[in-house]
This record gives sequence, C-alpha cells and structure tokens, in this order.
Amino acid sequence: MVAHPREQGDSRSARRLNEPRPARVLEQKGHPVEVNRVPVALVREEWRVADRWWTEAPVQRRYFDVVLETGENAVVFRDELTGRWYRQRA
Amino acid sequence: MIACLTLSAFPLRAALAGRPELRGQPVALAPEPGRLPLIGPCTAAAADAGIKPGMRLSEALATCPELRLVEQDPAGSEEQWERILRRLEDAGFAVEPVEAGCAYFETRGVERLAGGLEAALRRALDAVGTGWQPRVGAASRRFAALAAASVAPAGKAIVVDDDDTGLFLEPLPVDLLALSPERRGELSELGIKRLGELARLPGAAVADRLGLDGSEAWRQARGEDEAGVAPRRPPEAVAETLEFPEPVGNELTLGWALAALLDRLLARPERGGRAPRQIALAARLIGGGSWRRTLTLREPTAEAERLRAALGPRLAEVPAPVVSLRLELGELTESAGVQAELIRPRGNRLRERLRDGLRQARAAAGVDAVCTVVEVAPWSRIPESRAILVPRDD
Repeated sequence: MVAHPREQGDSRSARRLNEPRPARVLEQKGHPVEVNRVPVALVREEWRVADRWWTEAPVQRRYFDVVLETGENAVVFRDELTGRWYRQRA
Repeated sequence: MIACLTLSAFPLRAALAGRPELRGQPVALAPEPGRLPLIGPCTAAAADAGIKPGMRLSEALATCPELRLVEQDPAGSEEQWERILRRLEDAGFAVEPVEAGCAYFETRGVERLAGGLEAALRRALDAVGTGWQPRVGAASRRFAALAAASVAPAGKAIVVDDDDTGLFLEPLPVDLLALSPERRGELSELGIKRLGELARLPGAAVADRLGLDGSEAWRQARGEDEAGVAPRRPPEAVAETLEFPEPVGNELTLGWALAALLDRLLARPERGGRAPRQIALAARLIGGGSWRRTLTLREPTAEAERLRAALGPRLAEVPAPVVSLRLELGELTESAGVQAELIRPRGNRLRERLRDGLRQARAAAGVDAVCTVVEVAPWSRIPESRAILVPRDD
C-alpha cells in the first residue's frame, strides 16, 4: 500500500498573517516623530489595544496611524510592556 | 441557440454502469479515500430512504442500513464521459465540456442539417443515449440554457425564447448560480432565494455588496450574460496501458512501469513529433476502484525526463495497489514547434494553468510557498490574530 502524501512527514504548518515587524521609531512625548528614519508629517489617529490581560501573554499596545513626509501611510505601535516599537497593517 | 446538456449524478451513474445487480437498490457513491467521510450522489431508492448527497457516512448508514456504497471510479467516469462527448461530436456538435455530466454546444450549425432546432436537440439527446437520462436546455444565453436543462424532464429538451428568458428564470432557485459558498451565504442572509429576487435588485448595489462575482450572477439572473460557447478540439487518443500480473503497491515498481509506458507512448508514430500539452495517468486499483490524475504541462514537451519528473510524484498519491497503469497524451500541439497563444485562456483551462503555475511556484520555492488565507478571528483587536496562512495541498 502506498502511503498518502499527506501522511508522510513534512514541515508544512500554518503561520500567522500580518505579524508585527520591528521598526525604528523616534518618539517625543510618547508620539512617533520618525519611522525608519523618515520624518512623520501627521498623526491621523491614535488608539490603544489592551487584550488577553487574563492570560500569561497579555497584549498592551498604543497604535498610531501616521502619514510620513514621503506621503506613505504607516501604522506603528508601541508595546507598552516592553517599550519596543513595531510596524503592522492595522 | 446555446444548448446545455446535463446528466445528473453522472459519477454515480458511471460507477453503476457495470453493476446491473444494483439497479433499483439504495446506492450512494462512497467518499473519496483520504477525504472527508461524506457520501456522494445517491440513487432515487436511497433518496426515498432519507439519504442526501453530502451526508456523513455514519449518519447515512444509520438512516438506511441497507445502503450500498460503490467506489468512486474517476477513470471509468472520464472514459464514459469522453465517449458521450465523442458521440455528440460525431452527431455534428462542437461541444464545450464543463465537468463530467455537463457540457454546452451551439445548435446553429446542426439546425439546418437536422431540420430545425427541436430536431437538432433530439439528435443530441439520441447521441447521448436514453440510458443516461440526458436533459437539454436551449436558450440564447448560456446561463438560461443551464437553467432550462436543470428543469427539463429526463430524456427531453426545453427551449427558452429570448423574450421569455426573464420570466423563465424568475422563479428558479439562486443555487443554479456558480457562486462561492460565502456569496451564497450572503444571498441567503439577505433573504434572496429566487433568481427573480436577485434580478430586481439595483445593479450598483449588488456590485457594491457582492463584488464582481455578484455582478456576474446578477447579469445571469437577468438573462443578460454574454458568455458564448468555446468548443474543445476533440483530443486524439494516444494511450498505452500496462497490466500487472499481480497488484503492485510499490512506488519504485510503479515508477519503472511509468518510464516504460512513457517510452512506448513517445515512440508512437501517430504522435508525429508533436508534444502533449496535457498528460493523464490512470490506474485500475485492486478491489475494482480506479484513480486518475490529469496534468496540464506548463509548456508542451515530449522529453521523457521532464514528463517523468512531472508524473513521478503523482504515483505517491495512488491510494491502493494497482492492477493496471494507463498513460494518455492529451491535446497534442499542432506542430513540433512552440507557438504562443493569441487568445487568453478562460474557464477550466485558465484554472488548470493557474493550478499548474501554483505547482511550479511550490516546486521552485518550497512547499510553504503557496498558501490560503484562513480567517480565524476576524473580530480580534489584535491584527495578527485575525487570519492565518495555511499551505495549499492542490
């Protein structure tokens, strides 16, 4: 009997879509003024996400929807637990 | 006029073709090996006993303990379907097969020969044979022809006049539209069950809410679809079969058999140096079932090494020991040279190309290269928790 290909061992596995990527952000009074060395022209919106506080991996983020001086839109967030900045599509 | 021929529950009928002892019995098509245990189409006797296609196997057997299951026979089914298409082509129709059990053809060329539309449709029904209980619908629009075939009595044809298309389509269910389950769900949530209800909605609102698919469905429901018939070029049957003295389950032996078949097939004089665009590998399995894989090549080739590399991995998918192995060359090129296509491929051909392209991408960039996005928690406030990427198997 020939084994079904799905039963054979392979490394295929599901992975998350839209994982946050570390970003280099310069901040002033908690607001981003530069994202990956490009100055921020405008902060369009700001919001907080506090979730999974009941688990061992809580999420506490402060998101900023910004327009860069190049005209590009970007969403960055500050992980309030680690103080690190990330870029992500919201 | 465009005509649509449908043979309901064709895979089951094909599987039952050589089993007269099961006539009149509650029978259903067994689930495909390795797939979800859901039964396929069933006979009228099974339907009377409460069986429905798509039911879980355990539930079906609990509902009707006398239910007999027949193994899927994709190779046999394809052979039978090919014979039907050839009979239609011999009767003068240029056919466009959609899937086994459904094909479109233009009647215009045959009407004068047969003596009118009704006679042409009768000719098509006779070519198929009454044993298959064919149903034919004819209309000036492709979707209306399909809808007419869906309500035609077995062995009969229904013709829909152009002026009556809207009225004819109005009371029919929206299930006739080729929509994704999501779009179907959206229509159901909006309370739209009949084609007439969809047709009465404003076109812009349908496009806004249901996108391109919805727009096309809306045009079909109004009897305004523009699609014509793209007849196939009848394939030349160049095939070789190898019978084994005893069933073979060893992939290595099957690999050698495949190599021998390829050498024999490529040496056939009727190939005339032309390369196949498509190649099919079929196996008759121990216990009476069959297995078949059709592969559209990225570009036509008659190089044995490349064909072996393309077909070899398929042998690992054979679900049971093999009694005989068959290799068929399909769609041979016109000449020994390579010619780019002038007209963009559409429909099944385009999908086949896409599937082949995906396989090519996977072969080049690894098994994880082609994925489907699956929404797992679209409501989540955490963006990376909303969807995952799952590697595709096809």
